[in-house]
This record gives sequence, C-alpha cells and structure tokens, in this order.
Amino acid sequence: MIPTLTDLLVASIALAVPVLVAASGELVGERAGVLTMSVEGMMLTGAFASVVGATSSGSALYGVACGAVAGLLVGVLQAVLSVVLRADQIVTGLAANALALAGTTFGARLLLERGAPVPGFSRVEIPLLADIPVLGPALFRQTGLAYVLIAVVVLLAILTSRRTGWGLAVDAVGEDAASADRSGIPVLQVRFAAVLVVGLLSGLAGTQLALSEVHTFTDNMTAGTGYLAVVAVIAGSWRPVGVAVAAVVFGLAQALQFTLPALGVDVPFALLVMLPYVLALLAVAGFVSHSRPPAGLNTAFVRQGRAA
Amino acid sequence: MTTTLPPAPARENDDGTAAPPALALRGVTRVFGAHTALDTVDLEIAAGEVHCVLGENGAGKSTLCNIVFGSLPPTTGEVLLDGERFAPSSPADALARGVAMVHQHFSLVPTLTVQENLLLGRGVRRLRPDRAGLAARLAAIAETLGLQVELDARAGDLSVGARQRVEIVKALLDDPAILLLDEPTAVLGPDEVDSLLATVRRVAAAGTAVVLVTHKLGEVMRVGDRATVLRGGRVAGSGPLAREGGAGTPGAPALTAADLVGLMVGREASSLDPVLAASVGVVPTAGPSHDGGPEAPARSGTPVPAQGPAQVPAPATGDPVLTVRGLTVDDADGARRVDAVDLEIRPGQIVGIAGVEGNGQSELVAALSGALPASAGTVLLDGVDVTHAGPRRRTALGLGVVPEDRHHEAVVTGLSVTTNLLLGRLHRFRRLGLLDRRAMRAAAADLTDRFDVRTASLDAPMSSLSGGNQQKAVLARELSLDPLRCVVAAQPTRGLDLGAVDDVVAHLRTAAARGVGVLVVSSELSELLVLCDRVHVAYRGALRGPVPTDAPDARDRVAHLMTGAPA
Repeated sequence: MIPTLTDLLVASIALAVPVLVAASGELVGERAGVLTMSVEGMMLTGAFASVVGATSSGSALYGVACGAVAGLLVGVLQAVLSVVLRADQIVTGLAANALALAGTTFGARLLLERGAPVPGFSRVEIPLLADIPVLGPALFRQTGLAYVLIAVVVLLAILTSRRTGWGLAVDAVGEDAASADRSGIPVLQVRFAAVLVVGLLSGLAGTQLALSEVHTFTDNMTAGTGYLAVVAVIAGSWRPVGVAVAAVVFGLAQALQFTLPALGVDVPFALLVMLPYVLALLAVAGFVSHSRPPAGLNTAFVRQGRAA
Repeated sequence: MTTTLPPAPARENDDGTAAPPALALRGVTRVFGAHTALDTVDLEIAAGEVHCVLGENGAGKSTLCNIVFGSLPPTTGEVLLDGERFAPSSPADALARGVAMVHQHFSLVPTLTVQENLLLGRGVRRLRPDRAGLAARLAAIAETLGLQVELDARAGDLSVGARQRVEIVKALLDDPAILLLDEPTAVLGPDEVDSLLATVRRVAAAGTAVVLVTHKLGEVMRVGDRATVLRGGRVAGSGPLAREGGAGTPGAPALTAADLVGLMVGREASSLDPVLAASVGVVPTAGPSHDGGPEAPARSGTPVPAQGPAQVPAPATGDPVLTVRGLTVDDADGARRVDAVDLEIRPGQIVGIAGVEGNGQSELVAALSGALPASAGTVLLDGVDVTHAGPRRRTALGLGVVPEDRHHEAVVTGLSVTTNLLLGRLHRFRRLGLLDRRAMRAAAADLTDRFDVRTASLDAPMSSLSGGNQQKAVLARELSLDPLRCVVAAQPTRGLDLGAVDDVVAHLRTAAARGVGVLVVSSELSELLVLCDRVHVAYRGALRGPVPTDAPDARDRVAHLMTGAPA
C-alpha cells in the first residue's frame, strides 16, 4: 500500500502525543525556573512501569497508574536534587537519565517476559469527526488514553495560565525568585510542585508510548523523545500553543522516516532518523524563535538575607 | 559622643494601661561567620510613628530589616510584635503578621504586569486571583494616599519612580501594622523623594508603625519622629528628633542633625572632611565658624565650599585625554541606553556624572571601558580612536577603569590579592615562560603599601578583604597603570565605610594632580559636588550640563537637571 498524506498525519500525531504530553509538563517546570533534563528518564521509567503494571495485573488502567507513579517518583528525586539540595539541574538530570536507562533495562530482564501480551489501549474512533477527510483519522482515531492525556494537557495549560494564581506563582518564581519570596510566595514549594508536574506528565507520556503505541517495552524505547520534549519547550517559546506546534512538527519529522521510504523516495534512512534532532538543534540555536527563557531558569534559589 | 535617651513614652490605652510597642527588638544579634552585623540591638517603635534607622553603609541597617521581615533569623535575641514574640521563618510569615517591606532593589517581577505583581501577594494559592478585591483596595489607597498605579504596564517597563510607587502600594495592600522601608530614596530624583516622604507621613498618620532606613540625614530631619543610629552593628544612640515644626517631646532632649552625624561617624560633625560629610548627606558650611550646622541637602542651596576641588590646583591644560563625541549605545533589545554623549576631559580635570541610577551611566562606563560596543560615535583616548578597541588596547593606551560592580567586574574573588593586583600585566612577570612569583610578590607588596590595602597576606584570596580594601586594591591596580592618562571610576565609594571613602577620594585627587583625567560616575550628588570640577547629569541616556561646581547654585542646578526639567 502506498502511504498517503493521511497516513503521514496519522503517524505524526501518534508520535507527537508523547512529546506533547511530556513537553507540557516540562513547560511548567521551566517556567518555574527548573530545567528538568530528566524528562527522558521519567518517560522511560513511566513506560517500563506501565508495562510491568499492565502485564502483572492484566489491566491497562492499572498500568497507567503505575506509569504515572513511576514518573512522579523520578520527579521527586529530581526535585530533591535540584530544588532542595540545589545541585546542578542539567548534570543531575542527565545522571537521572542514565540511571533510568540502566534501571529499566535491568528491570526488563528481571520482570518482563519476552513476547508476553501487554494489555493496552486500542483506538477509539469518534463517529463523524473521524470521517473528516485527511485530518479526521489523524485527530479522531486515537486511543482513549490519548484523548484523556490531551484533555489533561489542555487543562494544565489553563490552570497554569497567567489568569490563575498558580500560573502567576509559577512565572514569578521562575522569573525572579527573590521578588516572589519577598511577596510571600513559597518559592521552594512552588518549584518542587512544578517538578512533580514534570514527573507526572512525563511518566504519562511514557505510558502513552508503551500502552497506546508500541504495546510493549523495549530497551531505551524512548530513544531521545524526552530530549525532544525539552527542545519543544524552547522552540515553542515557553508558550503552550507554541510548544504544541513544536511537538507536532517533531512528530511529523519522526513520521517521515516511515513514510518517505515507503513512498520510494530515495533518502538515506539515517538522514531521516536524524531529521528531528537536526530540527531540534536549529531550534535550540535560536533559528526558530528569539524569545527569552525565564530569567531564573537553571538557577537554584537561596534566600539572600544579607543585602549587598 | 554618646547620647542615650529614655525609650519612647509608651502610649496609653483607654483603660490607662500602657500598650506594648508595635515592634520591639530585644538584644538582637546577627553574626555572619566572623563578622557581627548586628550586636545586641534594642529598638522600640510605636504605632503611628516614623522611626528612622540611620547609619553608614555596613552599619547593619539592612540586616535589621531582613530580620524583622523574616528573610534572616537572628543569631540571638528576639523580635516582639505588640508585645508578642515573633520569629518569622520567611517573608510569607512576616506578611501574614502584618509586617510589610519596601525593598531597596524592589520586589517586583519585571515580566509580570503591575496588576499581576500586586496579585502575587494576595492568594496565589487560590486558583482565581481576587481581582475585584484588589481593585477595591487600590481605590482606597488612591483616595487616602493619592497613590495611583498603572495596572496594565509591565513592571519592567516602568520608570524607577513609578516602580517605587508600585512597590509601596504593594506593601500597603494588606494594611500592614509595620512598614519597613529600606533606603527607599536611593534611586529617586529630588521630586520623587519629596512625594515619597509625604506618603510616609500619611501612612504613619493612619496608624502604621513606619521604619525608615536611610543614610541621608536630610530625609530623617524632614519626616522622622524618632531616630536610632547604628554604628558597626550597635546602637550608637536613639531618641526623639528635633524636627522642623517641633515634634520633639517637651522636656526630653531632642536629637539634632549634628547629633546624628556625630553618632553615625563617631566624630563631631564640624570636624568632618567635606567629602565625608557629603557622603552622609550633610553639606558643610563654608567659613571658619561652624555655627550654621548641617543642613538638609535636598532643600539647601548652600554654596559648595571652596576647599573642595579648588584644593588641588589642577593643571587643566593640554590636549584632552578623553574625548567622546556622539557616543550612542543600544542594547540587545534595540533600546537606546546611551544617547549621543559628548564629553571631554583634559589632564588634571575631575569630571563627575550625576543622575538617578539607571539613566545610562552603567552603559556609558561599559562603552568607555570597551565592555559594550558603541552603536555610533567616537571615543578618543589621548587622541587615538579607540571606539572599536577592546579593553586590552584601551588599558595599554592608559585607560584605568574602576567598575561599578566590584565583585563581578573588578576582581576575581577566588584568586589571591597578588594575582588580582597584577592581573592586567602578568606578562611582565614572565620568566622562562613561567610566572616569577618573587617579583610579583614584591610588586604587590609595593602596591598594597602605597595604597594602604590591608590584607592578612598577599596570598590571601581577594574575597577575604573588606569591601573598602578590595576597592583600594582595584584603585591600586588601575592607578598604577603605566602609562596612565585617564581613569573612569564608577560609583567608587559605594558600600565603603567613611575611612575608605576618604582614601579613595584622596587617591583620585592625587591622580588628577599628577595630570591624569578623571571621570567619576556616582549617584551621590554631594560627593560629586565637592570632588569634581564640573558635573554632568545623566538623564535617559543623554548627558546634560555640565554645571561648574564652583557656581554658587551648583547643587540646585544639578538637582534640577536630574529631574529631566529643561535646563
């Protein structure tokens, strides 16, 4: 079968959802001033835990719960390191990723049977909407989990917008933690909570990848998706809509590696695999937007009692 | 001289019992490592009074505020609110107990709007911020205090004066029982200072206990009911003020401005060097008799005494050592920071740049030192065009720079005193490709000796020196350049104690007497008036003036220019 534009879009959206979910969490963390590089590890841990949970209980929902909790736990680790102990955010994030990769690879040998059936989510077509030409199948033929996660992403964006007290608090501690502190905002609590949001959403993103798309766990199955989420936040200029667009673009770039060879386009496969990461490099280098990161990003907060 | 006066008369309630003071400090001590910032400080402040806390830089004023506001716990001692023990662990605790603070460097998030900033202090735990409640409260504040703010502006886009107004409104939102103001006038122009002081009086009249921290005497004498002077972390004296209009309690001896100066510096006011007096906000009177006493600088048009710049007969001849024509600097966002500045300094001249901070002075200094690229214009150093030259070439041509931010731009705090002193000329100490440590140490010893830099050892890290000695080390390095044609000193006396101020000023004068051109950028107008031959005023990136400092109305003319009014 020759793939059509519809197939490309279906694959793009499928690949974009995990990036979108993780990036939405990362956005909250970065706005609060914490650069969480461990999104990759959180996703991988979430994917692993969801598969373990689903196979051992026989219930996909139980798997989702396990994936969410696992992501949250890595979030707790990251928050303790970067918010409480004020360790370098990037270095601890990368260390957490290495730990997650090793831990899940080892865990998979111990706990997972090769080829065992993994209870997952199947696609649910929304009547009528799914029949819209071209876009319909991409948007309205997703798994139940995907619909729920997209709703969660939208809800999160609303709850943390500048119109809410929470959103103001998040932006304040990320932009100017000292001023936020002097205004009576519990800076460390807000940042800790923000990193937990990153962990929860990343764990769910990994779950979506494992239970809705791949339907199993394979070693290092996230393969850089978490880093793409971090880049999507930069490319999206730290704004929810921008981040969503960036996630879809990365999804599209990933989808090309499946559809272009099927169309008989003679492009070396390795180049296509590289494409999302090349886009990511360009985005980080500032070719996509020139907006400024939160002023307090990657800066630990310690109360300055002694004025200069 | 020690003046210890009886504590504030306790107010009596209707039933005749004495009400406890709104805020009391009992034996508060705060130690930072080996340094005691506050030493067994006692203080009582009643509701409805403006209590001024005075002291030089480093006397412990900010530490005191930070302890009351919960930013810093005291090492020992206790704080009482209305007689109850109060041990805040964070500013949030203090705010919850009705203690609000206006910070010297503001507490507004620049990227948020004014409204968002004001909402921050009120219920961010709630999903829906209380906009209606805020509007009602703002209307009340506008009515009683005449303070209006522009809600939709981004805090970072506001002028310093407008930001200060928002900061005060923010502190008053929850009707605080205690209002702490930490050097609130440091960044304001003369008109803005007037309106701030008027607001302070109105806030106190409404029953709030106001603590006004400052080192400017003029302000204290205008608004204060009582004053406490800190010196070296201890209470040097305290009592009611002999304020204009007669606020002093009959019978009780009231503190005069001269008393306060004496308490602050530990010497009689009349014995002060004019520069020292200027740095605490006192304008010394000319002539042999000292009966005129110190005056409030903001109101005074007292002529600057002749012993200032005229003391050093400057050979102001010869070709200019620094010529700046049309210098313009735009920042990364395209905003114009320095706007077509013209400036000329001849050998032996001391030229000042006054102005409220943030009017382009920092950027001008950065452009002159080669740290910021010029967008237009030319800079000639001793006749050589250095507009596009880097700092290294400028140094080689004889430009010494004393940067504003000592820690980040002037010294490497982790390296030794020796290395810091010789940082720019390490190549001269090369021997067989390695550094000749013995020669370096000899050169460093010579410099620390000549500039009186007090250090435990030449190998001690720069960070172990006091601020004054660090600044003297920077001066030693910059003033010992060879050749030295011109020195640009930005806020050279900021944060220094009076002895160090004296030394720094003396070194700059000596350099000028040697025929070096000196440019001093300072926010202390009084200091510039006694040190410089002429003073320019930075206003929105442009230079206004110059005003010759020997003109009888120099202070008024400079102050006038600082407000942005037409010359």
